[in-house]
Amino acid sequence: MIAALQLEDLAVRFGGVHAVDGVSLTVVPGDFVGLIGPNGAGKTTLIRIVAGAIKPDRGRVVLAGTDVTGQSTASRVRRGLALTHQMVRPFRDMTVLDNVALAAGHGRTANPLLAALNIERRREEERAAGILARVGLAGAEGKLADSLPLGQMKRLEVARALALDPQIILFDEPLAGLNQTEAARQVETIAAVNAQGITVVLVEHNLEEVMRSCRRLIVLNDGRVIADGEPQAVMADAAVREAYVGDGSGGHARH
Amino acid sequence: MSAYDISLISVIGLNVILAVSLNMISGFCGQISLGHGAFYGAGAYAAALAMIATASFPLALVCGTAAGAILGIVVGFASLRVRSDFLAITTIGVNFLFTGFVRKQAWLGGEMGISGIPASGLGRTGNLVLILAFAAATVALSLYVGRSWMGFAFRAVSQDEDAAATVGINAGAYKLAAFGIGTALAGLAGGLYAFFTQFITADAFDFILSVMLMAMVVIGGIGSTFGVVVAAVGLTLLPEAIRFVNDYRLLLFGGLLVLVIRLAPGGLAGLTRKLAVLRPAKP
Amino acid sequence: MYYIDLAVAGLSFGCMYAMMAVGLTLVYGLLRILHVAHAAVFALGAYLTVIVANATGSVLLGFVAAMAVTPLFGMAVYRLLYQPLLGYRPDVPMIASVGLLVLMQDAFRIAFGEQGVTFTHNPYAFKIFDLAGVRLNAVQIAIFVAAVVIFAGLHLFTTRTRIGIGWRATVSRPRIAASFGIDAVKVRYLNFAIGSALAAVAGGLIGLLNNLVDPVIGYVVSYKALAIIVLGGLGSVRGTLIASLVLGMVESYGTIFIGSWLNRDAIAFLALIALLMIRPQGFTGARAA
Repeated sequence: MIAALQLEDLAVRFGGVHAVDGVSLTVVPGDFVGLIGPNGAGKTTLIRIVAGAIKPDRGRVVLAGTDVTGQSTASRVRRGLALTHQMVRPFRDMTVLDNVALAAGHGRTANPLLAALNIERRREEERAAGILARVGLAGAEGKLADSLPLGQMKRLEVARALALDPQIILFDEPLAGLNQTEAARQVETIAAVNAQGITVVLVEHNLEEVMRSCRRLIVLNDGRVIADGEPQAVMADAAVREAYVGDGSGGHARH
Repeated sequence: MSAYDISLISVIGLNVILAVSLNMISGFCGQISLGHGAFYGAGAYAAALAMIATASFPLALVCGTAAGAILGIVVGFASLRVRSDFLAITTIGVNFLFTGFVRKQAWLGGEMGISGIPASGLGRTGNLVLILAFAAATVALSLYVGRSWMGFAFRAVSQDEDAAATVGINAGAYKLAAFGIGTALAGLAGGLYAFFTQFITADAFDFILSVMLMAMVVIGGIGSTFGVVVAAVGLTLLPEAIRFVNDYRLLLFGGLLVLVIRLAPGGLAGLTRKLAVLRPAKP
Repeated sequence: MYYIDLAVAGLSFGCMYAMMAVGLTLVYGLLRILHVAHAAVFALGAYLTVIVANATGSVLLGFVAAMAVTPLFGMAVYRLLYQPLLGYRPDVPMIASVGLLVLMQDAFRIAFGEQGVTFTHNPYAFKIFDLAGVRLNAVQIAIFVAAVVIFAGLHLFTTRTRIGIGWRATVSRPRIAASFGIDAVKVRYLNFAIGSALAAVAGGLIGLLNNLVDPVIGYVVSYKALAIIVLGGLGSVRGTLIASLVLGMVESYGTIFIGSWLNRDAIAFLALIALLMIRPQGFTGARAA
């Protein structure tokens, strides 16, 4: 079976710091993977490498069997990757519906020529409305994305990712800034997405929710994978505890 | 219709093509171009030379369009490299480079320009009809693009290139497309202009013209084809209607730019509304 | 000796460019805005110098007047034009700035005439001194002296005085400066005030050197200043100084070669575009665009 996502020995340095220092991992299609680690562990950097926003110094990113290491974000998206941002980035001056419809129309916007020849939007708008209902934003279609409260904006991010009809979605801290209820609801939505067969990689700080929903937990520290496996087992791992506790009391020397 | 009327309406028609085409680049796609005059000029000179060399009017127009587009795509590549305000500066530079270059080249007529361009064969009225036909076509094209998925993608690129990437839109390709289409139309207008006047100098394509065109786009409202048409017609007629305004054109256009941007960055249907998207703070 | 004369000319222009461009780079460094209208400040300074000098018979008074008024104008531009537009895309305030420059240049043309204004009493451009075989006129000497005084003064100000240190801190590390209680708004006004005053001096000096202040004086220097601040590294005063001198020298020696197929204005723009394409963030890389 072809892995949904395969990372081979990825590394990147900023200044003198190895933000990501030799990360390799394989994600099975349909899996629900949690990626955690203390602040500065390199989680966001890793996600950005996978997304195509940062070029790694070495290593490969393989998406469903295709090496996408040199490709742009847009290109990876067209190959089945979707992502949500930690700092939400909707198109602020567009309506909620348009935000999602644009994603739904990714087939029509693959290149300018194709886009110029396509004018019909009915299908994409209907699909978008359906997805918005699924994430609990029914009724907000006509609002400007800018006017939404944070919780709803986060749901919009998910809706947009879904509309891309992806194979795999990377969620970068989708629960940050949400209260208990909103967070629980968001996780429900994500779990439902996974139940459809879409591979989910979830980067989160909110350990509780992550623990409950994912089937596999990977822990990053100092740019390296220090634990990978079944959630309960991983959290019981001494090295993992050390990473979280040691980080707070300032015991670890960063190399 | 008197010769004066024909002349005036011809200029209006040309300005409509120029403003609407600039709106596609700067309004729809958000790439600020303050050098549109260069593409207009490139088209005019190319058409003039082609006509002198081949005496074929259609070919001359094609050459004009192509010249505008080629120069435009080259500049379009610049938009892939630099941030929006630096792009604007680059386009100003392109405008000055164009006029500076042309003024020094003997084969382009130097300071004296190119005179005695052979007539199109259509006569003054014929030329006018052609200009208006192309103006109408440009407006139609602009309306179409605005409604199409290309326009949708342009809007996304204009607002947030990175977010556009996350929905699979290749921002660079669309920027080039915007420049290509917009500048091709400017080049076409240049070709039409060469036959309208049968005499061209670099002065007609300078930075001042570019500022005027941007004022039309800003006032009319970026993204609004009709708004820009109205502004183009209005700002062309104004110096004619109010005689002394002609002497104060720069004062007027500069002042309008400042006022509109300053007073309605969040309001006026269009440009400033699209540009007025508050960006997430960059670190 | 000809080449030394060229060097002197090049350096003197370079010093003037530096005085003018410093204001531009400081605004960029502080606010990330391309203050294209700075050229209008420069032109205003030049016009004030010549008008007051002609009215009072004293060139010195002309400079004093220019240095007194332009900071007010610069601060007003910040308050009325840029401050309300700070949250928007960078090209929004820039377009407004371009509009202001265009507006003011035309206002000067209408107010003072297309041909410009000359000094009624300007012997300085013609007083030639011979220093160890090098010939300089009085204005060039004044330029060098002014440049040394100004840049040394700036250096001392930003390293020895509280306000100056606060200013520098705000430009290079805005958030840290804020947490030290340095008033960012006061710093901005200071920034515009000083930058404008320096531009005014540069304007007056150029007017003296050419014995003419005309309506296009702002345009010509504006894009050169842009090229300079990109080359020198956006926000870096030292980089701007170096880049200014380099440009001055290149222009002086360069027009011998290129002057035939491209006019002088275009050369500066060509250089600017080339720089932006090669390295969009400038050369001394002080701060990334």
